[in-house]
Amino acid sequence: MLRFEATQMLLRHIGDLPIVSNLGPTTDELWHAGHRDRNFYTYGNMGLCSSIALGMALSTEEKVVSLDGDGSLLMNMGSIASIGREQPGNLVVVVWDNEQWAQTGHQSSHTAFGTDLEQVARSCSIPKTATVNNLEDLEAVFCDALEQEGPWFIVAKIEETEYMPVAPIEPEMTLYRFRQSFGASGV
Amino acid sequence: MPWNDIIVDSLKKWDTSLVAYVPDISIDRVTTLIDEDPYFHLVSSSREEEAIGVAVGAYATGRNSAVFMQSSGFGNSINAIASLCIPARTPIPIFLNLRGGPGEFNIAQVPMGRATRPILDTLGLVHFTLEDEHNMEKIVDGALKLCHANRQPVAICMTQLLHGGKLA
Repeated sequence: MLRFEATQMLLRHIGDLPIVSNLGPTTDELWHAGHRDRNFYTYGNMGLCSSIALGMALSTEEKVVSLDGDGSLLMNMGSIASIGREQPGNLVVVVWDNEQWAQTGHQSSHTAFGTDLEQVARSCSIPKTATVNNLEDLEAVFCDALEQEGPWFIVAKIEETEYMPVAPIEPEMTLYRFRQSFGASGV
Repeated sequence: MPWNDIIVDSLKKWDTSLVAYVPDISIDRVTTLIDEDPYFHLVSSSREEEAIGVAVGAYATGRNSAVFMQSSGFGNSINAIASLCIPARTPIPIFLNLRGGPGEFNIAQVPMGRATRPILDTLGLVHFTLEDEHNMEKIVDGALKLCHANRQPVAICMTQLLHGGKLA
C-alpha cells in the first residue's frame, strides 16, 4: 500500500472533517491529494501530530483525523497514553507505518524490530484498534472509524516510494484557514 | 486576591477554557483550582511539548488555551514552541514555575531555570516575571491581551517569591 493512494482514498470518505498531517511526505501528499481548508499541515514539531489532533478532538464535536507516522509517534509515545486517558470518542489516529525514518535516509525504525504500535495503543486503553496491510482493509476500518465511537488507532503498513514535490504550505495561513472553517475569528 | 485566583480569573476573562499541563507542586494551587472548576478542561500531558501540541489543537478549532509547566519542562518544549507556535502564530500563554532563583535548593534546577528567560528572549517571545501579587491582576490580564494581539506565545514566569515554592 502506498501512502498517497491511501490518502486519496481517505479523502473520498472524509467529507469536511478536520485532518492533522504529520511533517514531511505525509503533509506533502495530503496537499497533492486534495488541498482543503480543514487540512492542518505540519512541517515541524515532530511527534506532535496526534497531540494537536487530541487538542482539537477535545474542542469540537466533529470527528478529527490524525495522519501520523511510526518514527514521529516513537518520539512522543506518551501522546498515546494521553489519548487513552482522555478517551476522546471523536479521535481517529491513522499511523502510516513504513518501519523506517524514510526522509532521513531510510534507517529502520523500532517497528521493524518488533515494536507494535497497535499493542501500545491497546495497552493504553484505546478501545478501537487495527493493523492493516492493504487499501481494502484500510478503507473498511476507516469507514467504521468515521461511523463508530472511538478513540480509534489504526496502524497502516505502507511501502515507501518516490517523494512528491514539497507542498507550498504556510503555517500562519494554515492556522488562519483552519480556524475560519470552525467559525473562529481570524485573529 | 491570592495569586492563584488571579490567574484563574484572568483565564476566564480571556475565554481560555482548555489548559494542558505537566504537574508541578509549586503551582499545584492554581492547577488544582482549574481542575476543580467545570469551566475548564485540564489535560494532563506526559511531557511538556505534548501540552503545547494539545493547546495548539484547541486553538486551531477556535478554543483559547494555555499551558502550565516548570522551567525544566520549558526546556522540553522549546522545539514545539519554535517550530509550531511561532511559525503558525498561536497565542498560547505559557505559565511557568521559574526555578533557579532565590531559595532554590536543587543544583539540577539552576541551569535550565537561569536559561529560561534568555531562551525566550532569543526566540523573540515576550515574558513577564511575577515575584509578588502587587499589580499582578494588571500584569496577567495585560499579558493575555498582548498574547492575543501579537498572536504569539507569552510566558508568565512565577517565582518562588510569588508562590512559596518547594523548599527542600
